[in-house]
Amino acid sequence: MVRNKVFIFIALLVSVVIVLSGCASPASKDAVVAHNIPITQHHQKSVSVNTQGGSETGAMDSSNISNSDFAKAIEESIVKNGLFTQIIHSGDSDYLLNVTIINMSKPMFGASFTVRMEAAWSLSEQKTKKVVMRDSIESSHTATMGQAFVGVTRLRLAVEGAIQENIRLGLMGISRLHLD
Amino acid sequence: MIRKNWLTLGLLIIVILFNSGCAVNRTTATLDPTADLVGIKTIYVTKLAPDGRGINLLITDKLKSMGYSVSTGIDAPEDVDVVVTYKDKWMWDITMYMIELTVTIRDPKNNYPLASGNSYHTSLTRKSPKEMVDEVVNNIFKQGVENGQK
Repeated sequence: MVRNKVFIFIALLVSVVIVLSGCASPASKDAVVAHNIPITQHHQKSVSVNTQGGSETGAMDSSNISNSDFAKAIEESIVKNGLFTQIIHSGDSDYLLNVTIINMSKPMFGASFTVRMEAAWSLSEQKTKKVVMRDSIESSHTATMGQAFVGVTRLRLAVEGAIQENIRLGLMGISRLHLD
Repeated sequence: MIRKNWLTLGLLIIVILFNSGCAVNRTTATLDPTADLVGIKTIYVTKLAPDGRGINLLITDKLKSMGYSVSTGIDAPEDVDVVVTYKDKWMWDITMYMIELTVTIRDPKNNYPLASGNSYHTSLTRKSPKEMVDEVVNNIFKQGVENGQK
């Protein structure tokens, strides 16, 4: 009788762990905002941000970032670091920044998870459509078992780290430009 | 009795594990607003080094069927209009199948990604490699048409 109760308890515990371990959570917008970027030049211009290649995170999927959260994180990073003077959503800005997530490779197993990301960053003048920057930016981040024991959490941390690093490198590249 | 219980538990775990991966389907395509796919005539498909399944040849055939002049190999030349790279991911479920394919169209001069497409289909809705290639490539060029490029 006691053995049966122990068995039922273990069965329930295993089922709950398996079900919960499959539930992915999306990358947090706040966790990917890049702080304290070494800015070479603060541009006295306005910018609009457009993002592509992001996706929603399904319960049985792995961590992703949505396009809207990715755009908000870039905008917040621009504001926090004073890269441009103004963010404009209507499109009547001096520059258009387009960032497309091209690839995000995520591991499926392992004690440490390393996520590698490639994003295409382009900056163009809104009026003339002149392209002032085109750069393929690659970033990576490793999350260890010490940071999170549960695999889906560890993967989310690795995804967030890779995105944050990509934003940091992208905005650093833009700060090196000489804009008219 | 105890042995029967453990057998039930084992079956339960297997069922949960199999069901957990049953229904994820995702297709995306992106086109950089500064890119122009209209003027493309010559394309080079760069073979992914570990690819032993000839996915580069499937992409080459697909692009040729669309009327482009296409070649494939390991070292991309600079005298083509665009270079195509890809990344395929495979899983095992009774048999091996392609779970994910990403195809990227790049500027041969600086490797900049001009357009990209991705398809992700888990086991129960798996597609053949040729169907995956067709889907991804069609979605990329459809994106170009939707953005006003004929």
